Amino acid sequence: MAQGRIVAGFVAPHPPHLVYAENPPQNEPRSKGGWETLRWGYERARKSIEELKPDVLLVHSPHWQTLVGHHFLGVPRMRGKSVDPIFPNLFRYSFDFKVDVDLAEACCNEARALGLTAKMMRNPNFRVDYGTITTLHMIRPQWDIPVVGLSANNSPYYLTLEKGVDQMEKLGAATRTAIEKSGKRAVLLCSNTFSHYHFHEEPALPEDMSCEHPQSYKGYQWDMRMIELMRRGEIREVMRLFPEWVEEAFAEVKSGAFPWMISAMNYPTVPAELHGYGTVIGTGNAVMEWRLAA
Amino acid sequence: MTIVSAFLMPGNPLPLLKGENPPWKVLADAARKAGAALRDSRPDVLLIYSTQWIAVLDELWQTRPHSVGRHVDENWYEYGDLQMDLHCDVDLARACIAAATAGGVRSKAVDYEDFPIDTGTIVANAFVNPDGRIPAVVAANNVYHDFALTAKLGGIAAEQAKLQGKRAAVIAIGGLSGSYFDHEIDIAKDRVVRDADDAANRAFLDRLGKGSGNSLAEEIAEYAKTVKADMGGKHFAWLLGATGGFRGASVLGYGATYGAGAAVVQFQVA
Repeated sequence: MAQGRIVAGFVAPHPPHLVYAENPPQNEPRSKGGWETLRWGYERARKSIEELKPDVLLVHSPHWQTLVGHHFLGVPRMRGKSVDPIFPNLFRYSFDFKVDVDLAEACCNEARALGLTAKMMRNPNFRVDYGTITTLHMIRPQWDIPVVGLSANNSPYYLTLEKGVDQMEKLGAATRTAIEKSGKRAVLLCSNTFSHYHFHEEPALPEDMSCEHPQSYKGYQWDMRMIELMRRGEIREVMRLFPEWVEEAFAEVKSGAFPWMISAMNYPTVPAELHGYGTVIGTGNAVMEWRLAA
Repeated sequence: MTIVSAFLMPGNPLPLLKGENPPWKVLADAARKAGAALRDSRPDVLLIYSTQWIAVLDELWQTRPHSVGRHVDENWYEYGDLQMDLHCDVDLARACIAAATAGGVRSKAVDYEDFPIDTGTIVANAFVNPDGRIPAVVAANNVYHDFALTAKLGGIAAEQAKLQGKRAAVIAIGGLSGSYFDHEIDIAKDRVVRDADDAANRAFLDRLGKGSGNSLAEEIAEYAKTVKADMGGKHFAWLLGATGGFRGASVLGYGATYGAGAAVVQFQVA
């Protein structure tokens, strides 16, 4: 068996507004569109997925927040309806996808071997969170590639950021080892917004783009600074600035997906490609790709 | 008399899902005792605030007449499924939405099939209202609302119940100290993970027994910071706002839920 590898990693944010705006048949609410620049960015990312032909997509979502360790979806087929408790007016999505349980178990075991608390989620009635679903839908709406779903352990919030990032980096290393042993071509998905300052009231028409702009200029400046560093391949500098970024931009990357993915990719120096950037209720969202293999 | 009873209930599902486990049985027994006391107070409606129903835009209020279905907690899924069975007092909820919006807190109704009622609300409702007969008004925890604003919402809910001539029971759902074990434990030996948190929880519960008084809000803020309390203790704000203060409190049960502090408390309302 050939050694498996991570062929690409994507920052793939999960505002449910993007699914709502696209009007896929799986989602009940109907919209008049909106957030086009971000959705066009996802269109480009979808083309990359088509070219890469991965065997599996791994997604780390901040909206499956776990208290005791790092959890992995462990049911072969996940089906159900996910109503977003925060934006139920926008996201009521019927999901149905396959889980790569073998790889999930391998990641879980490798994480344990590195000293992390890790466990498999085996309850078939589990409602998959909207972050996982939104990211997966936006990156591959065909739902024809098996998935490994990872929770966001709350260690960056309940311990210190440093300790939390250390856990996520170990989780990334464990993920890389499991993928290499699997022989599979894997794509990693970091389901995160960047600057997370947002408005506190929703427009009467959620897709009224005349209401959409960065909520915070400071947050916007941080987004541009970090995106530029990523585009130049300066990932070590990004990670050096990570604590400051989290603090000053209230960045959602704090939840762990970003350090998990960057660590799993072994801190790539290849320049990232920006597929699109836009705000959603004032938060900063970038769709970005690190291509590691043809 | 509008507010006929008031309770603090844990939102963690472990005492409901595995109530036979000795550390959690204390809380399960206490929660059932609270249920009996609540029913004795003959409320027409429950005014519920749960730290686990998170909102970020606007204030959300449940208005679906009857929410039913299965719910699996994102953390404690291995202990079994929860059953939603929640009736809503739609008239009162809509009055709260109008009053809150008029009072400067823009509010919205939530009426969607398969909406995931939060674990805390399901658990507390199952303990105190097991046949689901008493309708409820359920308000979300907007994470950007501070203690004072949350208290204001509690006051609005109580005021609207009064205007509708309803007897109301106030239920604040949430935990005490918020640190969990970060590794698997022998659940039969569950305890509050930090001794300092345990001591602070006990002192805080003793303090509640003395009544609300003028300084309680400040004391809660200090306590919440010390023990990383569940959502900064905002569930107490709802309780204080809705009751307008209380004369004393009885701790019906105190214990741990995988290291975090939890208690069932009955408050003596004025």
